[in-house]
Amino acid sequence: MRVRPRFVIAVGATLVVLAPLAWLQQASLLPGSYSVMDMGVVDTGGAALGHHRHEDGVGRGVDTIVETATDPVVHVELAARKDGDRYTLNGTSPGPEIRVEQGQLVEVRLVNESVPDGATLHWHGVDVPNSADGVAGVTQDAVPVGGSFTYRFLARQVGTFWYHSHQLSHEQVRNGLLGAIVITPPGGVGATDVTALVHIYDGTRTVNGRAGDSPAAVGPGERVRVRVVNTDEGPMPVWVSGSEFRLVAIDGTEVQGPTPVRDVAVLVTAGARADLELVVPPGGARVEMGGSAALVLGAASARTSRPARTLDPLSYGTPADIGFDPAAANRRFDYVIGRRPGFVDGWPGVWWTINGGMFPDVPMFVVAEGDVVRMRIENTSGEVHPMHLHGHHAVVLSHNGVAATGSPWWVDSLDVPDGEMYEVAFRADNPGIWVDHCHNLPHAAEGLMAHLMYEGVTTPYRVGHEAGNTPE
Amino acid sequence: MRTTYRVLAYLIVFLVVVQAAAIAYFIAGLGEWIMGGGVLDAATMESESTFFPGLIGIIIHGMSGTYLIPAVALALLVVAFFAQVPRGVMWAGVLVGLIAVQVALGIAHVPVLALLHGIVALAILVVALIAARAASGAPVGPAARADAVA
Ligand SMILES: [Cu+2]
Repeated sequence: MRVRPRFVIAVGATLVVLAPLAWLQQASLLPGSYSVMDMGVVDTGGAALGHHRHEDGVGRGVDTIVETATDPVVHVELAARKDGDRYTLNGTSPGPEIRVEQGQLVEVRLVNESVPDGATLHWHGVDVPNSADGVAGVTQDAVPVGGSFTYRFLARQVGTFWYHSHQLSHEQVRNGLLGAIVITPPGGVGATDVTALVHIYDGTRTVNGRAGDSPAAVGPGERVRVRVVNTDEGPMPVWVSGSEFRLVAIDGTEVQGPTPVRDVAVLVTAGARADLELVVPPGGARVEMGGSAALVLGAASARTSRPARTLDPLSYGTPADIGFDPAAANRRFDYVIGRRPGFVDGWPGVWWTINGGMFPDVPMFVVAEGDVVRMRIENTSGEVHPMHLHGHHAVVLSHNGVAATGSPWWVDSLDVPDGEMYEVAFRADNPGIWVDHCHNLPHAAEGLMAHLMYEGVTTPYRVGHEAGNTPE
Repeated sequence: MRTTYRVLAYLIVFLVVVQAAAIAYFIAGLGEWIMGGGVLDAATMESESTFFPGLIGIIIHGMSGTYLIPAVALALLVVAFFAQVPRGVMWAGVLVGLIAVQVALGIAHVPVLALLHGIVALAILVVALIAARAASGAPVGPAARADAVA
């Protein structure tokens, strides 16, 4: 049989088109399990590379970085279950609110009763010792059905935080494996303390699990602190109908010199918290959660639509000492988010990139304990990203080149819209391996997940389906 | 192979029609939902839950536009190398190019580019129709003549 030249040309042309795609697809496949210590492009932020690698066999395991305080203990048991599509803790979603006083040692035992893929608890915004951070495959193994894990950390900070699973989090958090944790100063906050944990279940926005209007048991003249927690995947505007208010805390840090404002929205990004304080007027007030749910304070009052103005924390409140000098930074990192077509773990798509690399070729930001770190977070990807660094609070230095002039603006979850740039700084004061990712959790699952690695810290845990750990 | 080429080209025509219908369904559903008291913000939009009829429209539009249509266009191009369709490779190549532009416009997040997105959609529809029609005529080329003799 004679092979027709035309056929040969056609086969050749096919190979020219498909072979590069097949090669890219194959090259993108992730191993069945891998260590985050081997993952990513090492970035030392301009400092000399110390011995952060584990090949030399030295280093502290993340599991050994534990809380050293021993009392007084607040012990909580949380039983995780999967019931249909919904995840619950002690039978409810959101799970029970954990309320502790500053200085108490929190001990939470997670028991996985029936979450088939395993579960963990991450303490969002609480700068816990690394072993208690709850990231499956990085700081622990996912807790299998029938297993348990105890988290121990001292409540050093004061403020509004939340907890959620960091195993298959894009699915488990959306479907309810979460709850609030509030740390109060001894003696309370000098106001009636109301938590408003917002979560969307099956398309319906709820406040503390309740759709529509949620009444709070407060009366006129009463001073109220409303702790808004956004547990969803995107930014939510919050505003107050019928009253002025003050933004008294952001992400669990008090704002210095918060002035009263009105007819202005506060943007609470995914994972972030905002504490609003107001005195209930005789006619009542409403804290509007994006306009589709509300906390009703006092008498029933009229809802309002979103104010045109949005409060800018960059210039809100009064400046104060931040405790370190960002100009003396010895590590400078870029976290530039982009997007382009390609393959991630064999799947074609238009995927996120960090500093031009697609997962797993994303940065491994290397620091040493005691460093002062500056990070420039820039978004050129077309969509907003709520960026969340574990284990640390960073202070915002500038936004689109405009320097901060207000109260120190400490964040753990920062809204970075498309086309915008923030510069933040933090002290590397909490050794460990900390993920630094987008808190639109499906985005994290699509590869928008890097990590901060302290020199000399190692992890015995592995990420990947073979290890049973899927932190995103 | 000519038949496969024709079927794939018509499949692109069909999928472009589905794209138009799906996005119209989404816009209509969204409008009705908002007029009925629904409030949309980024957190709700990102919640990945079906909170109004018509939302499925944007999901179909996104999945089909990003994955299915590019895959069919690529298949059409490969088939074109083997099928002796007059200008078959050229039309398939033009389709691959237009669809690449269309995906880029679709994810550009620059609202004014959506105007172009709508116009390029019609161009894809027309070129896919031309390609399908080109594969409907009599075979050409030596292989076709050999087929005819056989
Ligand atoms: Cu994101």
